[in-house]
Order: sequence, then structure tokens, then C-alpha cells
Amino acid sequence: MSKRRRKGDELPGQPYTKQTLFTQIIMTVVALAFIAPIMIILNYSLKTKKELYLTSPLSLPQAFQIDNYRKAFEKLDMVHTFTNTLFYTAVSVVLLVLLCGPTAWAIARCKKRFFKFCYVYFIIGILIPYQALFLPIYMIGYNLKLTNTRFGIIFMYVATGISFGVFLMTSFMSTVPVELEEAARIDGCSVYQTYFKIVMPLLKPAMATLIIMQSFQIWNDYLLASLYVSKKQLKTLTVAIQSLFSAQTSDYTTAMAAIVISVLPIAVLFMSLQKYFIKGMTVGAVKG
Amino acid sequence: MTKKMTRQYLVLVLPGFIIFTIGLILPMLMALRYSFTSWDGMSKVKEYVGFQNYIDLFHDRDFLSAWWFTIRFTIGNTIIQNVFALLFAVALDSGIKAQKLYRTAFFVPCLISSLIVGFIWLKMYSNVLPAVNDLLGTHFDFLLFGNKDTVLTGLLIANNWQWIGYWMLIYLAGLQSIPAELYEAARVDGAGSVSRFFNITIPMLAPAITICVVGITTGSLKVYDLLVSSTKGGPGRASTSIIYQTYTTAINTRQYGYGSAMSVTLVIALLLVALIQVKQLKAREVQA
Amino acid sequence: MKRKMLTILMSMTMLTSVLSGCGTSGKETAEKTETDASAAAEEKSQSDETTQEPSEEVTLTVLAGQSTTDAGIEDMIDEALAEKYPNITLEWECVDWGNDFQPKMQQYMQSGLPDIMIGKAQDVATYAPQGILGEIDSTYLDRVLDAASENVTIDGKTYGLVYNALYQGVYYNKDMFKENGWEIPKTVDELQAIIDDCKKKGITPFASHMVDTWSIGNVTMQFAMNDVFNHNPTWGDDFRAGKTSFADSEEMKTAYRYNELIYQNTFPETFSTEQTDCDAKMVKGEAAMKVSGSWSIQNFLDIDENFNFGIFPFPNQTGDSKLIFEPNITIMTSADSEHQDAINCVLDVLTNDKELAVEIYDYTKTAAMLKDVTPTFANPSQADIDDYAAKGMIVDVTLGNNQLVWGGFQEENAKDIAAWLQGDCTFEDALKASDARVDASSAN
Repeated sequence: MSKRRRKGDELPGQPYTKQTLFTQIIMTVVALAFIAPIMIILNYSLKTKKELYLTSPLSLPQAFQIDNYRKAFEKLDMVHTFTNTLFYTAVSVVLLVLLCGPTAWAIARCKKRFFKFCYVYFIIGILIPYQALFLPIYMIGYNLKLTNTRFGIIFMYVATGISFGVFLMTSFMSTVPVELEEAARIDGCSVYQTYFKIVMPLLKPAMATLIIMQSFQIWNDYLLASLYVSKKQLKTLTVAIQSLFSAQTSDYTTAMAAIVISVLPIAVLFMSLQKYFIKGMTVGAVKG
Repeated sequence: MTKKMTRQYLVLVLPGFIIFTIGLILPMLMALRYSFTSWDGMSKVKEYVGFQNYIDLFHDRDFLSAWWFTIRFTIGNTIIQNVFALLFAVALDSGIKAQKLYRTAFFVPCLISSLIVGFIWLKMYSNVLPAVNDLLGTHFDFLLFGNKDTVLTGLLIANNWQWIGYWMLIYLAGLQSIPAELYEAARVDGAGSVSRFFNITIPMLAPAITICVVGITTGSLKVYDLLVSSTKGGPGRASTSIIYQTYTTAINTRQYGYGSAMSVTLVIALLLVALIQVKQLKAREVQA
Repeated sequence: MKRKMLTILMSMTMLTSVLSGCGTSGKETAEKTETDASAAAEEKSQSDETTQEPSEEVTLTVLAGQSTTDAGIEDMIDEALAEKYPNITLEWECVDWGNDFQPKMQQYMQSGLPDIMIGKAQDVATYAPQGILGEIDSTYLDRVLDAASENVTIDGKTYGLVYNALYQGVYYNKDMFKENGWEIPKTVDELQAIIDDCKKKGITPFASHMVDTWSIGNVTMQFAMNDVFNHNPTWGDDFRAGKTSFADSEEMKTAYRYNELIYQNTFPETFSTEQTDCDAKMVKGEAAMKVSGSWSIQNFLDIDENFNFGIFPFPNQTGDSKLIFEPNITIMTSADSEHQDAINCVLDVLTNDKELAVEIYDYTKTAAMLKDVTPTFANPSQADIDDYAAKGMIVDVTLGNNQLVWGGFQEENAKDIAAWLQGDCTFEDALKASDARVDASSAN
């Protein structure tokens, strides 16, 4: 592995030239443009219904309507939906990591035809548009008694996420030195032991990438959650938000507050974990 | 490789294989079965009609125009998102101050679910940006969703706003793992910054490019959520994507069999695209 | 190896056929509480003999397909139910009627329907022929207006309880009409005169929000009711019988063309404006009229409680337009629910609790379908409605909606109309597209 260029964010060696300043200015403008829509939502969420309709979207609210947030919090059943979403996401992601690693490794190492077939077989999953398959997905889930259970929804997240996981992990396998594995085998390790003792520790970066990428998918999933869960206690945040937003709703102020509430925790999470995130990406996705 | 080892590899693949088969491949096979029937999605009778649905597909103007829209959307996205994500990554990596802040600004939109992103941009185009016009006394036409000729641009902006930050992070991670010695060596050889970009940066980023291109393409081909809350496939049918069309056909017009034929066709098409892409990109990586 | 793979594949295919062969067998409810009708007995039967509260706790599942104004009534119903039948709890699944009700129904038809479904009157025509809806007991039907049950009755059996109703027509700014000396137009020419005067004075004649394709579909049906079904009440059946078509029927063409009249006389940004913005503009006096329905009242009054508006039917060629009436919230029940008693209790609360009814009507700003219940909200357009009712100039749109269904037909036609208005296809193309969709025009 080659020497990394730097550790922190800033380059100690690189001088801050005129050109850098120019870039800085341009990027500031662009970043502000990126943030603007979110600021507008924030502004909307603090207005009264009347203000929302009658004043300019750029004007500030007369008084902050914190009440919108209280209503949104209640309507979203935030305590339940948030814990549910967090639980589904966390468990599914852990299971995905546990499953995809060995699967990808076996596919990469065993040159038999079946394993080559497996690779293509799993790849198909990335391409299946499950929006269009919702009836069969539901029917299978129903017949296996998976609907309206925590297990069922997690099962589906694993099933739909596995494709990308295997794709990502397999492409990472080339960086795992085969010599180490062979040495282990000579020492009398079985295939399983080799994986857990030698390979798995080396896969950590790829696992980090997988966790990061899949978390977003699952956290924001609407279709599977709405298909598998109709019980109130099991609902997810996105489903709750969607029902607040359902095409013709008129309570926009509450809905806007709901957006802010739902994005906030995950945004904070991202900001505090940013370092690990980038690290995971660097060694995971990039080296693949 | 011994038989015993093969068996052990097989055990590693099996759990994922089974879950994936039940969760996604079975529904796909069921859809394949329905695609040969005239099932309405409700009644118990599923009448076999042979290849009729597939024959009808080629005469279906709405289906073909949905494909056309999806293709343009995908090409637009793949180009714009890759170029800008890379550009932003390079800019952030050029030694500007407070890199973290910019990173967060670009990244936050992808934490919001696509359903809501669609809604946000509906509001942006119809209320917020015209209000900006009023403020500045300018007369830009921001009503992008309201016209069949501009709706694609409008959706591209919305989609790119959401995802550029995400892919930017992958490129950023890639850039930071390129060893500095390579650049120094090139500088000694008298290579300019442009030539360094094309001769070092791009080849070194090849694996990241593979991931980004595949991710963006497959994601864009499956666009659906974004449309539900913004244009609803309109005006008219101008922004109806292939999945949107499949869904309305299967559900709203109660032609589940015909809709299934659409999704089967889509999977086949996606599979071809992905195989070609992966092959080409892999070939480039090897060359590099 | 190969053989193993084959075995796997074979068993997969077998599993597929087994799974897909399974029809509806079970029924999932949150709590499997056995209800003993005889034990439930007399203790709470203050209402009648068909309504008996189950003695044990029961949870009923409810799928509610809601639109604009309905979201929120579930809490009111819960509260009233808890008071009278504390043993029964409702587990709500509220979805958007336009987008998600049909898929949810399809989904549950594969497994088992919820105990109670709340949709629109036209849903009965879609689902009752599948044999999945339960008959509503006459005890409860007797408490709603007779006219309400007409279009939810098939072969003498009533499958829906219609709870409230909407009116549709042209909402107009009363003050603006007075200031400009405009009379209520009865013919299209009179309407044109108002439009011309509007333009002279720099007023936008119509408020509209065409980004919502459903609004195009909705107004088109309004036009068709007065120009087509008014003269030929079986136009839809004739259409399926091949006796007429969109491309041949002058009346239907006229109805479609009114969309162009609106489009040429509305906000230039109509394809970017959604309902709430549009309603706000109407209230602010930026437009004189809006072809719409009672769902706009909630917005109108939310934005300005003093907004003074009235309603008149969109004029037709013959000058005999009627105000359009649409049965709205319709309660359906599952034919094979295990909790028929509990369902009846819910129906009892809905039809017997007048306080609840008034609360719901006031909240949704809709008209009552229960006998002897009158909403108390101030509705500036009520005088107009009463006026048309007295003259017998009201027509039930279910007539049209049952013959030309909404989902898959009207909805799709609306997209073609939008494409035509956008110049994406010709008028003839739009008509032909509707004709080509003939198979989807009926639910069965």
C-alpha cells in the first residue's frame, strides 16, 4: 500500500495562492446555492399557514411557529418511527456485512462455474426494479408470514441490499493478498477459519463503505416499508412523512417541520462521523 | 482445490443465496409468469395469453416514449453528476480552507428522501425562484416543471442537487489516496496541471469512476420516487419514466400482466447495460 | 455441481408455482380475539339489536383512502368510538386515495382485506363485483339519505355507506362579480363575455393548477356531465358498445375543448402551480373563478375566513347545466371479517353520533349525508347550493364515474389532455388515445 498523501483535511505543504482563493470564492457561492433550498424549508416550517400562502417565500416569519414542530413530532409519532427506522437500519446493515463478506470472498476465490454464475446472479439484483414487483414481493412475504413483523422487513432489506454488497465486496477482494490465505491454509486452517481469522479483519474498510452506503438506502426506503408494515407500532419515518405529504395534503407547515425533524438526526450523525465516513470511503470504495 | 473446500465455500455462499432468491428472484420469476397472462391484479383468474403482452409492448407509444425519457434522463445524469462530482472534489482538494463545511453543505441533500426532494423542487420552481426574480427585478423563466421542453432540465437539476455530494465524497476519498510522489515526479518532468489531471488523477481514480458510473446509471434508470411528488410524470406524459409507466400500467390501469412484461423487459435491458459497462470500465482499469 | 444447481433451480420454480397458486386463505388481524356475540349481550345496547359490543377487546384494521380534506378525521372517530365502545380499537392505515388506495387494495386482495375500508362511492363498483365486500346492514343505511345509497347498490345489495358529499362547479369571487356587475353565466357565450371583460380589466379569469393532472381529469368529468351525460345518461355504456366514441361525439369533443378555454384564460404558470398556491391566488383576488369542488373550501377559509365566494355549474351548450354532486367518503366492509359485530359497532357510531358527524362535516367543509344532521360551518356558497337544490338542478357525478372509471381511464385521458394543451400532441390524438383505452374504461 502506498504512502497516503496526508492525514488531516488541510494540506500543510500546499500554499494558499490566488488561485486557491478564487476556488474558495466559487465554492462558497456553489455551497450557498446548495444550502438555499434547505434554508427555504426551514423558513417555511416556522411560518403560519396563512403566512405560507400569502407572503413571499423569501420573507421571514413574523414569529417562529415552534408549534409546527410539536405537531410534526406528534403526527410522525417520532418516538416510535425513529426507533423503528434506526433498529431496522442497524440490524439490516450488520446482517448485510456479515453475509456479504463471506459470500463475496467465496465468489472471488472459488473459480468453479457455480460461483461465477453466482456473481452474475447477485448482480441481477442491483437491476431489479422492485417498485414494479410489489405484488409478488408482498405475496411471498405474506405467505411466509413475514408481513407486519420486524423480522420480515429486515429480511427484505437484506435481500435487496445483498446484491450491491456482493458487488462491492467482490471488487475489493483483489486487494486481499492471497498469500496470507494460503499460508493460513498450510497451517491447517479450514475455509471458515481462514475467512474469520485472516480475511475478515482485512475487509474492515470495505465493510465500512458498505455500511455507509446501505444505511442511506434503508433509512430513506419508502416502498418496502409501506408494503410490509401496516401496523402503527412498526412504521418507519419515511412512511410517516409520506402520509403527511400524501399528494393532496393541505397542512404544509407541519409537513415542512417534519422534513427538518427527520433530516436533523441523520445529518448530525453524518457530521460527527464524517471522519470515519471519508476514511471508509477512501480505503473501501476507492481501492476496490 | 479440494472437494471439501468447495463445499465449505458453498456453505459461505448459501445463506445469502437463499435470502436473495426468496426476496427478489422469486418475485421476479412470478412477474415473469404474470407477464404471459392478462391478469388484472385483482381477480383469481389469470388467463394465459402467450407472448401477446411482449408483442403489444413494441406498439405501445407511451411505453416507448417512457423509455426515451428515461434514457435521456440517465445520460444527462451520468455525465453531469460525474463531471460535477469530480470537479467539486478536485476543488475541495485544492487546499481551500474549511473543507469540512463545504463537504457537509454538498452532502446534506442526499440525506433527504427523493420523495421530498421532488416536492422541494416543485416549490423552488413555482414559488421560491420566481420570488427571487421579483426581488432582483429579473425575468428568468424558472417554471421548469411546467413545460414539456424544460421538465427534463428541471428534474436533472433536482436529481443532481440531491446526489452530487454523495459521489463527490467517493471521488474526494479517491483523490486523497493518490500518493503525492506521483504528482511530484510529474512536476519534475515538467507536466502542467492539466496534463497531471489527465495523466495521473483520472487513471488513479479509475476504480472510483467505475463505482460512480454504475451507481448513477442504474439509479437513474430506475427513477420513480422523484417523479411521484413533483411532476407526476407530466406535464402530459413528458416526464414519465419507465418505472413510472410500469407502475401506472400495472396498478392504475389494472393490467398487471402487461405491466409485468414491462418490468421483465426493463430487467433484461438493465442487465445488458450493466454487463457492458462493467466490462468496459474493468478493461480501462486494467489498462491504467 | 451442475446437477445440484439444477435441483436448486427446479425447486425454486416449484416453490414459485406453489406460492403464486395460493389464493386468499388466511386473515390477519392484530389480535385474534374471539368475539362471542351472545355473551356480548345487553349491557351496552342502547342503540339497537344489530349493534352488539363484543365482550372482549377487539382491534379492527382500517384502510382509509383519503383526499385533501379528510386527513385528520381518524382521530375524531377514534375518540367517539372510545367513548361508546371502549372495547374496540381501530388500527388505521391512512393512504392517499388517488395514488395509494388502489395498490393497497390489490395488495390486500392477495392476503386478506382489512375489516373496514374507507374510499369513494365509485370504489364500490370496482370492488363489489370481486365478491369481497360485505353488505351493509339496513339499520345503518336507514340513517343516511336514500339518495346516498343509490350508486353503491348492486343487484339490490348495498355495499357502501356514503357519509358525506362534495359539490363541484365553478367557484367565483362574489365581491369581484358584484363590483364588475357580472351575472352568473348560464351559457358559454355569457361565460365568454365575462372572460372578455376580465381580460380587458387585467384580471385572470380562471385559477387552475394543472400540475395536478387529477384536476384536469376532474374538470373534464364536470364538463362531460353537463354536455354529454346530461343528454345521454348511458354514454359510457354506448361507448363500450361501439355506438359512439370520443373522436365522433361532438358533445364529448366540446367537453374536452373547454380545457383549452380554461388553459387560455388562466395563469401562465398553471402547469407549475399546485392546489394550495392556486387557492391562495384565488383568495387574494388574482383570479375571478375556479372550476373545482368542495375540497377548495377548506383552503379558502384557512387562508381568509372572510373570503366571500359562491358556486355555479360550468355552463354548457344548451344552457341547462346542473351543479355537480359527488358522494365522497364511503365506508365499505370486508365480506369475510371475523369481527362483524365490532364492525357494526363502528358503523353505529358513525351513523348515530350526530356530534361526531357535525364535527367531521365542519372539519372537512362538506355536506352531510346523514339524515337530520346539518353542518354548522359558515359556507358562503351554501346559499347557491340551496338555490340549485330547490330548483332540482343537481346531478350525481357517480353516474359518469361508474361508466367511465377514474383510475386507468379518466386519469390517463387527463394526461393526454395535458399533453394536447402543452402542444405535445394534437386534439385528435388525445381523442384517439381515449378511444384506444376503451378496455380500461370499466372496472370489470
